[in-house]
Amino acid sequence: MIAGLVQILLFQGLGEIVARFFLPLIPGPVIGLVLLLAWLRFRGSVPQSVDGVATAFSQNLGLLFIPAAVGVVMFWPHIRSHALAVGAALVASVVATMAVTALVLRAIAKDGE
Amino acid sequence: MSPQLPAIHEIWVYLSGSPLLALILTLSAYQAGVMIYERAGRNPLANPVAIAIAIVATVITLIDMPYAKYFEGAQFVHFLLGTATVALAVPIYKGLGALRGRILPLLAALLAGGATSIASAVGIAKALGADSAIIGGFYAKSVTAPIAMGVAERIQVSPTLTAVFAVTTGILGAILVRFVLDAVGSKAWWQRGFAVGVAAHGIGTSRAFSVHPEAGTYASLGMGLHGVLGAVLIPLAVRLLA
Repeated sequence: MIAGLVQILLFQGLGEIVARFFLPLIPGPVIGLVLLLAWLRFRGSVPQSVDGVATAFSQNLGLLFIPAAVGVVMFWPHIRSHALAVGAALVASVVATMAVTALVLRAIAKDGE
Repeated sequence: MSPQLPAIHEIWVYLSGSPLLALILTLSAYQAGVMIYERAGRNPLANPVAIAIAIVATVITLIDMPYAKYFEGAQFVHFLLGTATVALAVPIYKGLGALRGRILPLLAALLAGGATSIASAVGIAKALGADSAIIGGFYAKSVTAPIAMGVAERIQVSPTLTAVFAVTTGILGAILVRFVLDAVGSKAWWQRGFAVGVAAHGIGTSRAFSVHPEAGTYASLGMGLHGVLGAVLIPLAVRLLA
């Protein structure tokens, strides 16, 4: 568990360094993701400790969003005065995005079932 | 009776000054959300993240804790978003093996979905008269929150507002996914998973994993690819449109 966390943190750090000095347009964790992916491809398998940590994260991803999302209390007066625009845009956009993605996939993928 | 015990308000002062209170509040609210979700038979309407956010927002309003103060403690949880983003490499790596001849359809669907996400949100918000601060929050909202916040900083819009929209999008996607995909007649689990991953990132992916493992794998693939491509393309698109 700790071994896996250390490796993931190392890649995160590496990503931050690359982002800081070479690719300021891309967030550090994204570069860390790509580097870790490249390393896993090179290695040909996922170390068990890394797999355990990654699974724990993906099962509880929702928890990690809470602190930022509670920021809604800060923006509440502003959002409420635009409630209709915000609500309509959020709902319609997520519905349209899911529908378009699924329709494009079904239209051009050969193994649909 | 026992004068050596500190008065309750002293304990309160100590607790509210340390990160402990915000951490306990965040984790127990999430635990409560998960319990209610399980109790409700994993009904999409009882989204655990939405419940947790409502609990935390209510409690900090009631005890008069400023958001900045809460975030000071909760930032330890928030920090792990970056680590979780890096860890996405694992499900993506596992998903790559199952890709076979699917990479082109997936990329085409991702580009179409990503463009739809921005165009529809920004278009509707503009048409209904939202101001530019609000509209700015919509650009990165379909990308997973840690990447969305990074993108928001780079295109100089509010990261907090972007995160709020991103999380709301995730919750709405997790709630609506079944109805939308049934309505458009999408049947294959890998296609359903990918669609919810592209549109509703992490929270949609949690939902996909709780419904079907193949949907979950493709949802993380969709979220990961959208995050990586979005991080590169969204700032470029915004610069072109502006």
